[in-house]
Amino acid sequence: MSGDKPTELPSEAELAEMSRDDLVKLGTRMDGVELVHYEEKWPVKGTRAERRAQRQVAIWFLISALSGLAFLGVFLFWPWEYESPSNAEGHLLHNLYNPLIGLFLGLSVLGLGVGALLYTKKFLPDELAVQQRHDGPSTAVDRATLVAELSDAGQRSGIGRRSLIKRTAGLGAGVLGLGVAVVPLGALVKNPHSDSETKNSLWHTGWKAEKGEKVYLRRHTGNFHEVSLVRPEDVEPGGFETVFPFRESERNDEHALVAALKRADAPVMLIRMRPNQAITKRAGQEDFNYGDLYAYSKICTHLGCPTSLFEQQTGLLLCPCHQSQFDVFEYAKPRFGPATRPLPQLPITVDEEGYLVARSDFIEAVGPAFWERKS
Amino acid sequence: MTTTTKRPRGARTKLRRRVAGLLALGFGLLSAGLLFTAFAPTAQTAQAQQQDALVRQGEQIYLNTCQSCHGRSLEGVESRGPSLVGVGDAAVYFQTSSGRMPMARQEAQAIRKPAKLSPEEINALMAYIDANGGAGPKKPSESGEALRGDNPARGGELFRLNCASCHNFTGRGGALSSGKFAPALDGVTEDQIYTAMLSGPQNMPKFGERQLTPEEKKDIIAYVKSVTDGNNNSGGNALGGFGPVSEGLIAFIVGIAALIGVTLWIGAKA
Repeated sequence: MSGDKPTELPSEAELAEMSRDDLVKLGTRMDGVELVHYEEKWPVKGTRAERRAQRQVAIWFLISALSGLAFLGVFLFWPWEYESPSNAEGHLLHNLYNPLIGLFLGLSVLGLGVGALLYTKKFLPDELAVQQRHDGPSTAVDRATLVAELSDAGQRSGIGRRSLIKRTAGLGAGVLGLGVAVVPLGALVKNPHSDSETKNSLWHTGWKAEKGEKVYLRRHTGNFHEVSLVRPEDVEPGGFETVFPFRESERNDEHALVAALKRADAPVMLIRMRPNQAITKRAGQEDFNYGDLYAYSKICTHLGCPTSLFEQQTGLLLCPCHQSQFDVFEYAKPRFGPATRPLPQLPITVDEEGYLVARSDFIEAVGPAFWERKS
Repeated sequence: MTTTTKRPRGARTKLRRRVAGLLALGFGLLSAGLLFTAFAPTAQTAQAQQQDALVRQGEQIYLNTCQSCHGRSLEGVESRGPSLVGVGDAAVYFQTSSGRMPMARQEAQAIRKPAKLSPEEINALMAYIDANGGAGPKKPSESGEALRGDNPARGGELFRLNCASCHNFTGRGGALSSGKFAPALDGVTEDQIYTAMLSGPQNMPKFGERQLTPEEKKDIIAYVKSVTDGNNNSGGNALGGFGPVSEGLIAFIVGIAALIGVTLWIGAKA
């Protein structure tokens, strides 16, 4: 193969005569490989030491097979379902499931590896071979002929002269490329904010009253289909509660009841200040609160995480993602961290039946900034 | 037969009426007496006396351990301790049984330590604060396992909505601002979790009985108990229970180090 050491090739008749050993020698010589040292591990076959070495390797493969079986058994039949700690035995069995499948699978892989390693150490002959390195690029002749062959093939195909074929082929490929590009680019061409008036737009939230329907404050009781409305006296001074919008038309609509609790822009923190707490209200939003009750969007104005770490004594709302802090004693103004805008305040009041209701939607978009938002 | 039985019947009914009347009178008197002893004011006076004694004992404890920061008559001391008027015995129970009060020193927040007051002293102190501080959230009459609800799944839903933002979704706790923190919930008793929700200790918001009903609170406790104290640990070291961050880091560092070690060892033996 390598040009450095030209080997004399055997004739066809000689080749047919050659044994496997001869062929191997010829191959290595052709590849420029030279055996410097070669030694059998077990020159005398069938000794006691050889059999012991054999057993050692076999034991590891056996361990691997047995743990593989044990892994299968545990994986298929172990009682893996969660058991409450009150059932001590069941809980222990459940807790053992993960470590056991890990142990057996790991042992199975490890056993194969150790077995293979031991085999190479104990049985493969010691051998030292040297191969001549192939230096530099291809020869000047090789390179010149290759370039000539390629350009010759291009010229013989005649594509350079046939402009009709060239143009139609270009048209076909271009149109196909355009079609492929339109799919991802089309979404960017469409205006995603053309809807700016319904509660599904970026400018509004689930609190927007539609068709003049009253929007109540609803709490999540752990049961997605239960409707539990909030009264002012439900929240203790220094307490806070996460509330979601509710309309009477949703009462028997299970899908809408679940969706209301899961909408990303819906969560609002209803905070009750302690009596005599000095509060600074935002200009133009002086009547958004109801007594000591203030309702702020739970969505951080930085990147939209839930800012619900409420410190009731310091009046700080912390955002867990980037450590923004909002001061509820001062219209939820940012005090620290990357957020720059206060949390939007939801105007609330109490209806004639004593339930808290939203007087309107937020007067600004909730959550992080987006392109069209000017403040 | 009918004629012979007719005459004595009149005499017999008379006798019977008298005996019945006497019996009824006796029964009435007896039951009135029994009722009287059952609801007699004797029990009331005894209880009131006991209550008084408890309040007096509580006053002594208050004067010895609390008044330097909370004032002679629960009014609080500027920059030392808040007023205890209206805090209720739930707050007293939580703060003293968890060892947060009496405080060792003023710092970002009181920390949990072995309780300094005995359960009897805490009882007395609760009675004293209740008697002098006016109405506030009261510790529930149930205690211990009875405060665990039977629906930890709903408790988990409520915990993740109301508590997990600060305490982490399996109660591992987390950091707040300026050195304050939400503590981990391991080793916290049912009574302490319940009274903490009721009283809103330190910077924790209050969760009144109308916001989270007693049943909902008990479900939350059942959930907390099912995930804390090592109960949520599916084998091996939990590594703080913070999830993929610490697990991934340790798996990477330990795993890669082990692989490098084994590789070097194999190379050295070859």
